[in-house]
Amino acid sequence: MNGRRLTDGQFAWLLMVPGVALFLAIIAYPLVSALVTGFFEQSLVRPGRSFVGLANFADLLGGDFWPVLSNTLVFTLGATIAPFVIGYALALALDAGLPGWLRGVFLFPWVIPGVVVSFLWLWIFNANYGVLNGLLGTQVSWLGDPVTAMVAVIVTKTWASFPWMMVMLLAGLQTMPKELHEAAAVDGAGAVRRFRSVTVPHMRHIAGIAFLLEFIWNFQHFDTIYVLTGGGPAGATKTFAVAVYDTAFKGFDLGHATALGGLWMLLLLVLMVFYLRKENT
Amino acid sequence: MTATVSSRSIPVERVARRRPPRSRAAAWAAVTVIGFFGLAPIYWLVVTAFTPDDKAFAFPPSLVPTEITFDHFVRLAENEQLFGYLVNSVIVSVVTAVLSVAVSAYMAYAFSKFRYRGRSSLMHLVLASQLFPQALLLVTLYAVFSATGLLGSYTALIVSFTTFTLPLCVWMLKGIFDTVPSTLMEAAAIDGASRWRTLHQIALPLAAPGLVAAGLFAFVRAWNDFIFALTLADPDRQTLPPGLVHTYLGEFQTAWPDLMAASLVVSLPVIAAFMFLQRYLVGGLTAGAVKG
Repeated sequence: MNGRRLTDGQFAWLLMVPGVALFLAIIAYPLVSALVTGFFEQSLVRPGRSFVGLANFADLLGGDFWPVLSNTLVFTLGATIAPFVIGYALALALDAGLPGWLRGVFLFPWVIPGVVVSFLWLWIFNANYGVLNGLLGTQVSWLGDPVTAMVAVIVTKTWASFPWMMVMLLAGLQTMPKELHEAAAVDGAGAVRRFRSVTVPHMRHIAGIAFLLEFIWNFQHFDTIYVLTGGGPAGATKTFAVAVYDTAFKGFDLGHATALGGLWMLLLLVLMVFYLRKENT
Repeated sequence: MTATVSSRSIPVERVARRRPPRSRAAAWAAVTVIGFFGLAPIYWLVVTAFTPDDKAFAFPPSLVPTEITFDHFVRLAENEQLFGYLVNSVIVSVVTAVLSVAVSAYMAYAFSKFRYRGRSSLMHLVLASQLFPQALLLVTLYAVFSATGLLGSYTALIVSFTTFTLPLCVWMLKGIFDTVPSTLMEAAAIDGASRWRTLHQIALPLAAPGLVAAGLFAFVRAWNDFIFALTLADPDRQTLPPGLVHTYLGEFQTAWPDLMAASLVVSLPVIAAFMFLQRYLVGGLTAGAVKG
């Protein structure tokens, strides 16, 4: 086939046909279809459905939505701020002239599969034989209490994500012209002052993107929560992802699951708009 | 700012010499504290995997191994069900990676080398699609696969994995094609090569390392997936992550040392992949998060 008879634009679109088709079929259609299902009463296991208007949304906003929202926000904030702070500290430390192989060592927690992370921390937090209780000399059922269970899932997710933050922020630090720091030092600025006046402004963009991306990912995180606590105890760690999953695949209630998913998506959309804006500046 | 920002490594020693010793001491202190948090769990994973059952189920646990055994790995090798999960994981992840790279290479090339109507909004859509919640996609995918009789098959897994590997590969490869100088393609055109030939014989070979990197990333993401594999696969088509959950966590008393040994084995291919990927790390980590 000779591409020359086509204009550039036509040729480009031709190249994109398989990708766009796949994209429409497996991402766009399922998403739209899920959002539509929120207005129906539909079961996962029985055929047929009936239109119920806003009834599913009204049910959710009258109850279940709020605890799930608050759990999700607590988890997301905790599991974003903690890795951000740890990752930033580590990036600054590694940028201060420590050997380069250290960066690779710190990647391990991020590299190993999510379920392995969950298994490992499940074992560490184990009430009877866990090493955490062993170290502290306690017999606490970490995953059995609503407060410590939330802390436990945040710690686990923090452990798995801080290396990613480190890599992102270190990449930002390495693009910073060292002359700026030297000039500030010559002018008598101390380390803290240089961090505030030179590093922070330089890092604002990449730090903002890293924080926002991690926030969005945590907002829909499923794996470690599901394996560690399954959303329990008593729903204390039930976030949007776990709630939608349970409603659909344990309660077989597709209408409420997708309605909850629609509300979730709406919140995500706000975050995404922020993200795409930031991405473009 | 480019997506391959990490490959520009600044010689740390040069910078280090000019730093006052006090700030290096502070840096070492931070690295030590975070290092304990980051690496102590890994140490525990490895130690448990080699600890005999009676020692592992003692309280308080001994922090240094007193006795080493390979029993857990032997038991793992003899477990046919787990071997089946492993085979499934390999098949599904490899096919997903190859398919994703093949489809996204053309799309990424179009994004990178041509300017046309709809390009920028489509690029944003691809970028945003990585951020759509999987749990919600899963609900419809389940219904569609159920209606078409694909539920439980390899196809269902591959298609569902492609929902996250496709955007990832498109963004990574766009960054790669951006680094292939357009002048090379113009030269080929002047020499009379068609656009197809330019793409296949000039651009793709030049981007080959990037194609491999994108494929490896897709492989890793598919290998690690939990939620889709948990829900869409038949028991005999399940991959390792949900397979391990079903094998070990359903029991009354979890065989922790066995599970830690299995965890180590599942992690190995991923760790190996990342050793190759060091150079592409930031590009792959963000896949467009840093504008290419």
